[in-house]
Amino acid sequence: MHGKAVVVGVGESEYYERGRSPHSEFQLACIAIRNAVEDAGLKLSEIDGFVSYMDQRNPPLRLAQALGVDELRFAAEPFSGGGNNVGAAVQMADAAVSAGYARHVVVFRAIAQGQFGRFGAGRAGAAGRIPAPMAWTAAHGLLNAAAECAMHTRRFMHDHDISQEALCDISLACYANAQRNPRAIRYGRPLTREAYHESRWIVEPFHLFDCCPENDGAAAVVVSTPERARDLARPPVSIVAAAQGIGPWFGIRMFQPKPLGGAFYGDVGRRLWSNAGLGPEDIDVAQFYENFTGPVLMAISEMGFCEPGEVEDFVADGALVGPDARFPFNTSGGNIGECYVHGFGLVNEAVRQVRGESTCQVKDVEHSLMVAGPGYSPGSAVLFGRA
Amino acid sequence: MSRALGDQWPLPQIDDGNRGWFTSGELSVQKCLACGAFQHPPEDVCSSCQSFDLGVHLSTGLGRIESLVIVRHPPHPALVDAVPYAVVVVSLDDAPGVNVVGNLLGAPPEELRIGQAVSASFEEVPDPEGGETLRIPQWKLA
Repeated sequence: MHGKAVVVGVGESEYYERGRSPHSEFQLACIAIRNAVEDAGLKLSEIDGFVSYMDQRNPPLRLAQALGVDELRFAAEPFSGGGNNVGAAVQMADAAVSAGYARHVVVFRAIAQGQFGRFGAGRAGAAGRIPAPMAWTAAHGLLNAAAECAMHTRRFMHDHDISQEALCDISLACYANAQRNPRAIRYGRPLTREAYHESRWIVEPFHLFDCCPENDGAAAVVVSTPERARDLARPPVSIVAAAQGIGPWFGIRMFQPKPLGGAFYGDVGRRLWSNAGLGPEDIDVAQFYENFTGPVLMAISEMGFCEPGEVEDFVADGALVGPDARFPFNTSGGNIGECYVHGFGLVNEAVRQVRGESTCQVKDVEHSLMVAGPGYSPGSAVLFGRA
Repeated sequence: MSRALGDQWPLPQIDDGNRGWFTSGELSVQKCLACGAFQHPPEDVCSSCQSFDLGVHLSTGLGRIESLVIVRHPPHPALVDAVPYAVVVVSLDDAPGVNVVGNLLGAPPEELRIGQAVSASFEEVPDPEGGETLRIPQWKLA
């Protein structure tokens, strides 16, 4: 059970350290969309839909006007949350195109933290009082995603006897794979295990290098019909399946008993494999959204790649590094190594792996997985494949 | 510094949903009067039986550390002097299904472990805007 749509174009802006973009966030969005549309061999005027996520600040009507869209037929955003919705956004475009409501839907994310301030900064507000809905946690200095994910990670490590080295291995793999990718902000800046351990604690159990940096950049794909794709410039990439899965609402609700020590991806995994008629053993390469390293370990096991207690061995000894890795993972460097565009770089990389265009290209990729932000709900994932 | 995170840290805004929790000086947890289920934070509907008939349970304030973090990098300028501090998730012994969040006071953060027994204490802070006195639930090792 899945749609019929295909990805026909991918593009991104140049990626910048936070605050270093010479362009506004809206301009970054336009650059990424222009590049993706050009890559597809389409005209901007032919685009008739936009999907983004995470309360993005570049409204579809503004984009449609600025980019010279002839007719806007579809515009949407998945409900709730943030980077957990990267896959859900692609899924909505697939649904719209498969149903015939639109023909060429752009899915994108743009972020300029120099212009708009830091996304990960404490949310409690400055002066005055802590807003009531946040007070259950913020009154106690639990303010940001780092601390929320650290809380689940600590419990996961405790329950499954996972050491700090497993967290380190996620970060090292992202940095190592970024060294092959000239687009990556961390290109030319490798990380060592020693430097990881010597880095300061942010919120235990997270060191500095467990936390993905905040950057400026934009990325986009174009989702179209397979019929139209036959005439286009690039080989189409199939959206084999996509899935969302419910978990708790945010804040204090994240810590109620059932999911403690989890990333809320069990349902996503079951539904994705069921929708695709495939399983973890069929995956040739995977991109996992790393907001922080710990939730990636939880998501890997919840998606069914190994038992929770096996995940430290699963990621150890360079198992995630390079195109010939035991488990080819975050091959562009991911959020940590390439750029944090709220995970959208992972979508582009998953598509490029099927096309054979990655800077860390895995051989003969048939099925390429993208798993969105762990720890927040609804989680989502997309499985791309050869059309 | 009389409060766990310092006197500069903003106090919670009080509304009908959190008044009991932050001002009563007791651990006031929502309980469904129809089916007896506990839930936290309070909600308009019982998520176990969908009843609207919701009341309050005053917990004895004994519980267990379910998870914890040590905040070392201040996540806000007003917390520069507060770090390092421990934030704990605590399950309540007499309200199954409820986990609450607080600070663990009176013990070095490094010595805290998942599974340790804890008991509630309250930070009493006059409301600077003249409202009800706040009694913010915190935790110490039992």
